[in-house]
Parts: sequence; structure tokens; C-alpha cells
Amino acid sequence: MISRSQRIVIWGLVWIALIALSAPTLVVIGASFTSGDIITFPPDGFSLKWYDRVARAGELRAAFFRSLWVATICTLVAMPVGTLAGIALSRYRLRFGNVVQVYLLLPFTIPLIGSGIGLMLVFGAWGALGNLWPIGVACAVINLPFIIWSVSSSAALLDPDLELAAANCGAGRVQTFFAVTLPAVMPGVITGSLLMFILAMNEFLVSLLLVDARTMTLPVQIYNSIRSIITPDLAAVSVVFIAVAAAAIALLDRLVGLEIFLKSK
Amino acid sequence: MSTAEAVRTDTASTATTAVSVDGVDMDFGTGTLAVRDASFTLETGRFLTILGPSGSGKTTLLRLIAGFQTPTRGEIRIHGQRISAKPPHKRSIGMVFQRLALFPHMTAAENVAFPLKMRRHDPATTPDKVDAYLRLVRLDGLGDRRIHELSGGQQQRVAIARALVFEPDLLLLDEPLAALDRKLREEMQLEFRRIQKELGVTTINVTHDQREALVVSDEIIVMDHGEIQQAARPSEMYRNPANAFVANFIGVTSFLDGRFDGGALDVGGVSCAGTPVSKLDPGSPARGAIRAEQVRLGAPGTTLEACDTQLDGVVDDVIFEGERLVYVVTVPALGDAALRIYHHDPAAQDLYGAGAAVRVGWTEADLRIFKKTGEPA
Repeated sequence: MISRSQRIVIWGLVWIALIALSAPTLVVIGASFTSGDIITFPPDGFSLKWYDRVARAGELRAAFFRSLWVATICTLVAMPVGTLAGIALSRYRLRFGNVVQVYLLLPFTIPLIGSGIGLMLVFGAWGALGNLWPIGVACAVINLPFIIWSVSSSAALLDPDLELAAANCGAGRVQTFFAVTLPAVMPGVITGSLLMFILAMNEFLVSLLLVDARTMTLPVQIYNSIRSIITPDLAAVSVVFIAVAAAAIALLDRLVGLEIFLKSK
Repeated sequence: MSTAEAVRTDTASTATTAVSVDGVDMDFGTGTLAVRDASFTLETGRFLTILGPSGSGKTTLLRLIAGFQTPTRGEIRIHGQRISAKPPHKRSIGMVFQRLALFPHMTAAENVAFPLKMRRHDPATTPDKVDAYLRLVRLDGLGDRRIHELSGGQQQRVAIARALVFEPDLLLLDEPLAALDRKLREEMQLEFRRIQKELGVTTINVTHDQREALVVSDEIIVMDHGEIQQAARPSEMYRNPANAFVANFIGVTSFLDGRFDGGALDVGGVSCAGTPVSKLDPGSPARGAIRAEQVRLGAPGTTLEACDTQLDGVVDDVIFEGERLVYVVTVPALGDAALRIYHHDPAAQDLYGAGAAVRVGWTEADLRIFKKTGEPA
């Protein structure tokens, strides 16, 4: 049993964490509805005029669709790579399996600015800069560990004999993969893919190095706007961002069930 | 192992031999062989249990028979055909796995239909077959449930139906009951037996549960340290264990260490009537084994009827097991050897308490004398 004083301490910590996590979001949402001309919190009156401004701003809208496209490319690249790597790392005994695992964590341990410059040099040498797809590929590369973790934790929950059972039922290797292993790790694939989508949507630092005026993604566009003048329309754009992430989480809940995503089993 | 030499076979083994294992070694490179020189044959339609403690090599042997691994040495044939001749998915073997390995993303019926789909059975007959096998395992009406919506016992039944639906030549059970609680385990043991009798499918079961082995099997093989210790029918195995390990592993047995004096077991100068099982030289170290139900118990000073050896003892402990009592009696004349003795007690009375003096005895046939090997009892 938890005593009364323990209960107070635990709930106190929970509330502090909740407030600290949600405060920036709440401030931005509040500020976006201001009827004044500068970003303030609490907002100065209520109006939707900044959303109206955002919807009319052609540059922001174009950047938003570019970001959607980048996130789509990133997800399409990361899904097959991350799924295969995640399954391989958790279901098969690999030679140098540990080395591969560490290697796949490299994008995390190297500072993003370092990977960004590296990617810029590579894509620059190929003459690929100025397109959107290098940004999508770059996002896939730097965030790959997320989908690998998601898939391999899903795969690690499966019965170690699952593939043998499929073989026993008469399924060959290819059939086993497509009819048994892949569907069984699908919750991890969906979770990881949505995560990749959101991360690519929000990615800033590496994109900053790879974009030019024609390929400006939304976070970079916002950053550039801030440098000139801070107006509430940026808060409104941020709220659009938050809405996209919330939509992704809602989709995750529908497809996989959040309890599977949050619980280990 | 006795049957093995008789069938040291040619390719044209008789139609009734379902499985033949011949001189199989398995070396995982750990220093000791996981399976050493295993040989046995199994006739079509029989239920064999491979019994042994964990690490005895029983699961390895089963996986070799399933063809998941290739033996280092020796041959395994199923209906005369070498198991290694076909890849796993082309073999006609159904298997129930230790953790069941049901497909989590499919319903119960989809799990059962899967082997039919993969083995390209006529799709038109699939629903009927799935229904028939779900009925066989008494899951009619639950086919639409997802696997995680079923209870442990129901999942067992799905796994059995999935292993049997394509009418395999051989059914393998890899300790699937180990995780169940006792009541459910005993229920499923009887289910296995019923289904096996109903279909007549040749079955090999692996377990460490001696009771399960005795209850479900036509034949038992006891393994220890990778070697087959004895192969026999359950009653034969129980009554005539081939060595001290088997005697200890099946049933409740007490041991007396001494020397073989040419006719009986000499324990510190006291002659204990017994029957030698293995070939023993007079004077060699020997170990006597006696079942808890074979030791007679009486009041001190009385003469126990028909007992060839009678000694005085002291009750050390009385264990209440519900349907019976177990007396632990130490016998000073035998160097304080402890004998475990069953007492069935229909009158519901404790005859003796701890510390009571008693008389114990047995007949010559009851005490079995084995060659003493290095291992502890």
C-alpha cells in the first residue's frame, strides 16, 4: 500500500512533469489566438486572424507541402530498411550483430551538425542539392535507429519458434516472411513509420544545411521568418505542426493501439 | 535401446516403422555431446514419450527428428525416408511448440487454416477441415477469436489443431504442457491421449514430468546426459528400471549404498535381501533401490509378513500428502539410511508420530540392486 504522504509526493511529481512538458505547447496555442500584433501570453483577446494570415501566406503553405513531401520520402525510405534491419537484428543470429547494432546507433552519437555537413558534402558532390529527395533521405538516415528500435522491440516479443512453426506448417522462407514474420511485427513497423514521418516533418538542423530557396521546408521557413520579425502567425504555424503530430498519434492509436506502443507487451 | 539393434535398418524398413533413429550424435561444440549414440524405432500409431531432466538432450533429439537441425552423426528416417532429404516445409510433420508459436496476428481458425493454405490443399475443403479439427479439440464456435483472446488451455488446443489439420505422418510435442498449472496440465494430458487414439497418429512427446509420461504414453524413453537410459512400456519402465537413474527419476525411491556380496546387498555388515538387475561382480560397489510403496511398515517387535529383510527404524518425519502419508524412517542398522514409505490411510489416522519406533521390511524382489556409478542419487 502507498501511504498518504507518498501519494502526495508522487502526484506532485507527476503534475510538475505534466506541466513542464505541456507548458510550451499551451503557451504557443494560446498565443496563436491573440488578436494583438505581437506574440504574448496570456493572449491579448481572441481571434483567428493569424490562422487566416497563415492560410493566405503562399510561402508558408508551399513550405508546409514541401515538408509533407520530405516526410513522405523519409518514411518510404526508412520503412523497408528499418523493418528488415529490425527483424534481422532481433530474429536472426548475425555475424557481427553487435557491431551492426553499434554502427546503426552512430547517427545518434555523432552531433547532428556533423552528419548534416557530411550529407551536404555527399549530396553536393552528386549535384543533388536543390531537390527535395536528398532532404527526405537525410532525415531517414539520421533517424533510422528509431524505426529499427520500434521494429526490433516488436519482433523480440514474438515466440522464438515462430518461423520454425511456419516452416512446419509448410511455408517456405519467402512465404514465412510475408505471411508470418512481417504481419506479426506490423505494430512495430506502423509505430516506427509514423515516428519517422513526424521526425522528418519537424527536422530542422540537417535540413537547414541542405535546403535552398526552392526547397525550404517548414521549420527552416519559420526559422527564417523569426530572424526578421516575430509575429503571432508563427505561433499559428506551430499549432498546425502540433495538429499534424496529434493526427499521427491518433492514427497510431487506431491502427496499433496506444497501449501496445506504450507497454512492452 | 534394445529395439534398436533389431532394426538397424536398410532403406526398405517395414511399413509399420514410422520413425527410426540410428546412432545419432549431436555436437553443439560445447565439449559434451548434447545427444550421444541415440537409437530407437517407433511403430506407426504409437505414442512415445521422451522423458528426462532439463539438459538431458530430450528436446535436442526431438528437434533433430523435426529436422530443424542435422545430426553430427547417424541417421533419422521417417517412414523409411531420410529426414534430411527434404527441407522442413516439405516434411509431413506436425509440431506443437513449447511456447506454442501461434501466429499472433491471425484468428484461431486462420491459424488452423494456415498449414492447409501453405500445403496447397483444395481451398474448397479448407473451411470444413478447419471446423472439423476445431471440433476435435473442442473449440467449436471459437474460431473467430484472436489468439490473445483465448485462455492458455484454449491456445494449447489451437496449437494441436494446427499441428494435426494437414494429417501429418508424425506429431511432435515439445513440452507444450510445461507452463500450465497442474489441473489444466492433467486435463490436457488426457486430451492428448484421446486425440491421439482417435486419429491414430504416430506421436513423440517430450517432457520432464514422469507422471505425464506414465499416463499418456505407449512407450517411454528415459534420457540423461544425452544418452538413452532405457526404452520400455510405462508399466515395464516403472516396475523394472534399468539403472539407478531411471529408478530415481520415475517414482519415489529410496537408495541404500553398499557392496554386492554375491546374492544380496551388504550395507555396513547388514545383509539386505534384493535382486541384482545389472551384471555385478561379488564385492563390487552396488546401490539398492526400493519404491516407497514397497517398504512394509509395522509396530516395533512385530514380524512383518513375507518380508525377507526386517529391521528396526525410527520415524523421522511424517508428510501429509492428502490421499496418503509419507513416512521418512531412518534405520540405524543401515548407517541411518532414510527410507521413504507410503502409507495409504483410509481410516484417516496417523499411525505413528515423529520419533516413534517402527519395524520396516521388504521382500527380495522389492529391493533392486544396481551397479554403483559415480553420480549422486
